[in-house]
Amino acid sequence: MNTDAIANEVILTVREKKAFSLLAVLRNEYFLYVVSSIAFVLIWHWVAAEQILGKSLATPYQVVQEFTRLMTVRLAGLTLLGHIWASTQRILIGFVLASAVAVPLGLFMALNRTVNAIVKPVFDLFKPMPPIAWISIAILWFGIGEASKVFIIVIGTFVPCLLNSYNGIRLIEPELYDVVRSLGGNRKDEILQVSFPAAFPAIFAGLQISLSIAWTCVLAAELVSARSGLGWIIVQGMRLTKPELVIGGMLIIALVAWLTTLGVSLLERLLCPWKRYIEGL
Amino acid sequence: MDDDMRKQPKIACEKIGKTFIQKGSQQVHVLEDISLEVYDKEFLVILGPGQSGKSTLLRIIAGLETPSTGRVLLDGREITGPGPDRGLVFQSYMLFAWRTVMGNVEMGPKLQGMGRRQRREIAQHYIDLVGLTGFEKHYPHQLSGGMKQRVGIARAYANNPQVMLLDEPFGQLDAQTRYFMEQETVRIWEAEKRTVIFVTNNIEEAVFLGDRIVALKDKLPGRMSQVYPVRLPRPREHTDMEFLELRQCITEECVLTL
Ligand SMILES: Nc1ncnc2c1ncn2[C@@H]1O[C@H](COP(=O)(O)OP(=O)(O)OP(=O)(O)O)[C@@H](O)[C@H]1O
Ligand SMILES: [Mg+2]
Repeated sequence: MNTDAIANEVILTVREKKAFSLLAVLRNEYFLYVVSSIAFVLIWHWVAAEQILGKSLATPYQVVQEFTRLMTVRLAGLTLLGHIWASTQRILIGFVLASAVAVPLGLFMALNRTVNAIVKPVFDLFKPMPPIAWISIAILWFGIGEASKVFIIVIGTFVPCLLNSYNGIRLIEPELYDVVRSLGGNRKDEILQVSFPAAFPAIFAGLQISLSIAWTCVLAAELVSARSGLGWIIVQGMRLTKPELVIGGMLIIALVAWLTTLGVSLLERLLCPWKRYIEGL
Repeated sequence: MDDDMRKQPKIACEKIGKTFIQKGSQQVHVLEDISLEVYDKEFLVILGPGQSGKSTLLRIIAGLETPSTGRVLLDGREITGPGPDRGLVFQSYMLFAWRTVMGNVEMGPKLQGMGRRQRREIAQHYIDLVGLTGFEKHYPHQLSGGMKQRVGIARAYANNPQVMLLDEPFGQLDAQTRYFMEQETVRIWEAEKRTVIFVTNNIEEAVFLGDRIVALKDKLPGRMSQVYPVRLPRPREHTDMEFLELRQCITEECVLTL
């Protein structure tokens, strides 16, 4: 056992090694990950092949086949990658636009009463509106092009971005400001040395929530009106009664959404090296 | 002691009173008529039970609260706000979670506008002094309670304050670590003497550390009950006859005033 000792206080740094045994392997989490994933695919295949839920479920193999086909064959002028990029691009533009405005606005509202008093009534009015409710008005205002989809995403992600950065500052222990002041700092130091860094993790939590909302929004918008994107692919699968297209579209959305979330997590780890992360999930 | 009387006190509290107005315009009378003097390089302990206004008194001396009546003088000049001439160590550590040990300790000099190399040098000196050498790059959550408060002490010291204010710094530690940190406090104070005001609710801790002990009365508003000079030589032993006698005496009188 390896220890760092300082005076009489001891911190354990290394866990003891466990002995190798069959039971340990069976209980190993990575082993269980693999077992449960394979079991899921096998059950899926069995349910689909035996048509237990009727004909509208494709086997995993059919899904993979359909999507390897779409890698080369164009659908509405775009390959599969083109459609993925179409959705991702909408998300990125809307997400960047919304967070670039909402995060600083939330910070300002938390730091300045006047800004808060001006913005809050308007914000409170818009806050409870579900973003999907904006789709019709977006189409009325911006037509069915890119602008209306980006607009929906901006609307949907604005609220969690703003709320989280606002709360991130509001929930700071006030005594931390006393530390800065007793060390000889002024209001500017309080904001730069405490408010901003302390709010960072909350801001990132807001960005993560926004990202998953952004995916919901872009899909909803694409389901209603679009000629490209993953939502549109799902609609095509429905129209042509091709379950493999619908299920494949859903899986790819999960994959891409997971990748974008991972990107934000990595950025957070880079910018907040002090944060303790909950492993797993 | 007679020698001290003739000198100008480092810190002088003149009839301090404090009343908070809480929500619903309810008034809480927290301190009343506190007058005390702390001399240069003296280790003064303020001893009081829970909720007797100890933190409030220390925050007033730190300049973080304004007294409702009376005033506090530092070297004869009235205190109007917080300043780097007084260093505060907090009951609940209050470290910057997003800064390493080095980042925390160098904060004071940084806010004074000191250059990077110079403030690193100063911070390193105090990190070494409190015994955290090798932990410069650790974040607070990687440290034990005792180590966190070492950072708190080093951070206050690094600003080179004339007066150190410690608010129950070891209140959250287990008995053994606490006992050890008390010895460390004396070691650090003897290495770099400052005027110290140390708040505690622990009689043994007060006798072990103080040159003088100011006991507060129980119940709000906090008032002074007794001042005990501690004439025991250092290093002190918790088991010495005189130590035990003084401890016994304070305990009895504290119980009497309840
Ligand atoms: N900012 C404030 N506003 C209103 N009331 C306050 C404020 N600060 C302190 N009080 C009140 O003053 C009383 C004394 O508080 P204080 O923290 O000074 O006591 P303490 O002796 O340090 O207690 P403890 O031993 O628990 O640290 C408390 O009852 C609290 O309700
Ligand atoms: Mg207190």
